[in-house]
Amino acid sequence: MNIVHNKNNLIFLLCSIGLIVLPHFRNLPAAISAFFYLLLGWRFIGIWKQNWLPGKPGIFLLSVCGLALLYSQYQGMLGRDAGTRLFIAALALKLFEIRSERDLYLITYLAFIVAASQFLYEQSLLMAAYILFVCCVLLATLISINSNKPQTGAALKTAFTIIVQALPMAVVLFILFPRIEAPRWMLFNERHQAKSGLSDSMEPGSITSLGMSDELVFRVKFTGALPPPAQRYWRGPVLSRTDGKHWTQAANMEFRQLDKPVFKGLSYQYTLLMEPQDKKWVFALDMPAEYSLPLSRNANYQLITSAYPDKRVEYKITSYTQYNTGYITHAEYEDATQLPGKPSGKIKQLVSQLHGFDGTPDIFIKNLLNHFRTQNFHYTLTPPLMEEDPIESFLFKTRYGFCSHYAAAFVYLMRTAHIPARVVTGYQGGELNKIGGFLEIRQADAHAWAEVWLKNRGWTRVDSTAAVAPERVERNINMERFVSGNAFSLAPTSNTAQEVFNWLKQARQLWGNVDYNWQRWVINYDNRNQARFLSSLGIPDIKTMIYWMIVITALLTLVLSWFLLHQKQKNTDRALRIYNRFCKKISNRGLLRGSGEGAKDFAERIKIKFPESKGDIDQITEIFIKLHYGKNATSDDLKALSKYVALFKM
Amino acid sequence: MTLKERFRLSRFYRGEKATDKPVILNHRRIFILPTHRGFNFAILIALILLIAFVYNNNLAYLLAFLLASIFFISILHSYKSLAGLILEKGQSKRVFAGEAVGFKVNISNPLDIERYNLQITLQDSKGLTIKAQNKACMTLYSSTQRRGWHTAGTVTISSTYPLGLFRAWSPVQFNFKELVYPKPSKLELPFPENSSSETLQGFRQKGADDFYGLREYQSSDSIKQIHWKTFAKGQGVFSKVYSGESSTEIWLNYGHTPGHDTEQRLSQLCRWVLDAESIGVRYGFSLPGFELSPDNSLSHTKKCLEALALF
Repeated sequence: MNIVHNKNNLIFLLCSIGLIVLPHFRNLPAAISAFFYLLLGWRFIGIWKQNWLPGKPGIFLLSVCGLALLYSQYQGMLGRDAGTRLFIAALALKLFEIRSERDLYLITYLAFIVAASQFLYEQSLLMAAYILFVCCVLLATLISINSNKPQTGAALKTAFTIIVQALPMAVVLFILFPRIEAPRWMLFNERHQAKSGLSDSMEPGSITSLGMSDELVFRVKFTGALPPPAQRYWRGPVLSRTDGKHWTQAANMEFRQLDKPVFKGLSYQYTLLMEPQDKKWVFALDMPAEYSLPLSRNANYQLITSAYPDKRVEYKITSYTQYNTGYITHAEYEDATQLPGKPSGKIKQLVSQLHGFDGTPDIFIKNLLNHFRTQNFHYTLTPPLMEEDPIESFLFKTRYGFCSHYAAAFVYLMRTAHIPARVVTGYQGGELNKIGGFLEIRQADAHAWAEVWLKNRGWTRVDSTAAVAPERVERNINMERFVSGNAFSLAPTSNTAQEVFNWLKQARQLWGNVDYNWQRWVINYDNRNQARFLSSLGIPDIKTMIYWMIVITALLTLVLSWFLLHQKQKNTDRALRIYNRFCKKISNRGLLRGSGEGAKDFAERIKIKFPESKGDIDQITEIFIKLHYGKNATSDDLKALSKYVALFKM
Repeated sequence: MTLKERFRLSRFYRGEKATDKPVILNHRRIFILPTHRGFNFAILIALILLIAFVYNNNLAYLLAFLLASIFFISILHSYKSLAGLILEKGQSKRVFAGEAVGFKVNISNPLDIERYNLQITLQDSKGLTIKAQNKACMTLYSSTQRRGWHTAGTVTISSTYPLGLFRAWSPVQFNFKELVYPKPSKLELPFPENSSSETLQGFRQKGADDFYGLREYQSSDSIKQIHWKTFAKGQGVFSKVYSGESSTEIWLNYGHTPGHDTEQRLSQLCRWVLDAESIGVRYGFSLPGFELSPDNSLSHTKKCLEALALF
């Protein structure tokens, strides 16, 4: 029973359990976390104060508390959240019922399940490393239980060795184990926390501060050349209906499904790795030409996936930055010229002043952009509130705004001049990860621009923000990260600051690259990717896959067995090894050295049987004793011993 | 080992033929099977695989595969926990029926690895840990019921180190054989009256041996007769002499021994032999077909007891 009451074992076990539940802090309701850690702490104290532990009624009471707590946080019977909570509460309660070795094992196994549940919340590389570390501690717990004199260091070391030895095989299994997609009915629908991201509407006047989330939205790796920074527009929802303040998508999205725009110029092929989203939008490079299921293009040339967007998915897409969408449909025309009412005189005056009514659309656009550029308009992330008549206030009063203000004002003025126009939202730019050669697009890269329909050219992109803050578009940096307050400065600061900044940026890119490859190759390794990857290695079907799995596992086992078991012959003492050779020579003649027999006694015994080689035996024994037990032995002695033993004959 | 012997099932629990030589544990002698905990671990892996499958979660898959690999690899570690150990038969001592014979086993660990938590079992299990390049000597007890030759079964050495998921064990049969004397009777009967006239007065069991004096130690004197006080004072080795001793001889004869059956008689004889030896009386001994002339010495006693054990 000392196994159960061994303090070392208990401390080990409790520590590893504390560690395993720690990252769940973010996913669990505070009450359950508190319940768990309270019980864990109590059990910890109980290691030293046995009689502080609750008796049977106490445990019963605690169980009732636990159940009540679970019920109060009720989240259904099945599924990720409910399961995790149940396991954690059970783990906490089981801690007070450690009676035999069996209970210790049960707790350890429960902890492994909690470790697995951790991956349902987060699959980052860091989390994987953390769980690996905790697994090491859990294994050390088992080792500690199984060795009667537990030593913390030795147990951890053995656990680490075992994990290192197991990893190659685990990787082989990971690559070759056939993945089958779970049937639909087995999937639990999880309620997802709403993600901050692009929404399907826009209301620039009511925002005084744009959120600058650093959260990753998607990553793009081009197979060929990258498009120039000024062309990196990632197309999202198109907003064409407005009431003057609020912009929304048009209701009719069905037409133009079969429409084929004319593409020109360079084609860009890329893989787009979309992070989990709550909307079905896929932000392709404007404009996507080739894509495969489950993607489809809606009437606004925006890509939509038909699969659940809550998983990280990789898409292969081809886009062209030069295109001609051709005609305009009646419904589109109606949506793209719709105005909430008659424009005010002030606006009409501005439009006519910029030759909106008498010039060609091209001239009007040019004049308008010039107007933005020259008439003291400013780009800011913290615009003043414009509740009433946001467009008029922006154009004539405040003149401070971000992309949405500019896009909305631009479209409004276009429509006033009877030119079909609409707002397109999406992302612009992205940071190039130089190490991995891919673009990272974050929430802070969210953007809005305008699209006008021009004769013979179709829908044409006009980015009115670029007129005010060309850096926002053309430079390969994120304005928002450097803008503070109303003004932004791009002037280089001191040299050291620049260096530190560069170094940080590099570190960030390196990490970004590691993370990208982790997501692509590990997290996203599903049945399709597996089939693709393995067929590129010449493994076409599941049968060959399993053959290979068995063969490689067997090979690994062989290698490992050799490493593990071969050290049988490895004696640290080289002299002993040579002496063993001598003993073997003698044992060939029927005299075996007893396991506890000293070299001298043994020599006496063989001399009786083989008196003729007395001299050799004495010499060998003497040198061996000198080497093995003496203090001033030299390497010459070792050589001599080796020579004598080699020459020894009977 | 012939092929037939190799496939004999009894190798798994009884081990190979009994031997006197040292036995090195190797792949031929070590067997490994999962324990209960091992089976439960397999269930755990299946459960994590199920979670991975339902949620299509690659890291959960990876965890399951890692645990599976650990499970698999711990077979090798289990083997390593026993491989290379050398078991050697040691000494044992004769006992009286009803006592347990202690068989000594020397276990040496010639390798550079420590052996944790070995369990060595004959009748009861004992745990031990042997450091690298170290030795241990264990005495394993086997209880006896009857007189005569007692043989012990198989010594099983086992280990669940490192993870307790597998148990590696090795059954080793040694020629453990030890003579068991009859159980001395509990009845305090006086020594039998002899046909010899000199001893007609008979002896009382205790108290009859009145101290008479000391004499120079002779090699035939029992160790119990030595007068240790004088020896401790450095005055020489003396033997205690009891009154009447020199003149008495008794005969312990099977035919004159009371008892319902052979075993009871032998048991009584055993008791008398021990008593006579301890008080230093010269006694003759006779069993049907076996006779020893009167004497009092350790070797004499041993011969008598042997005869009793094997009668």
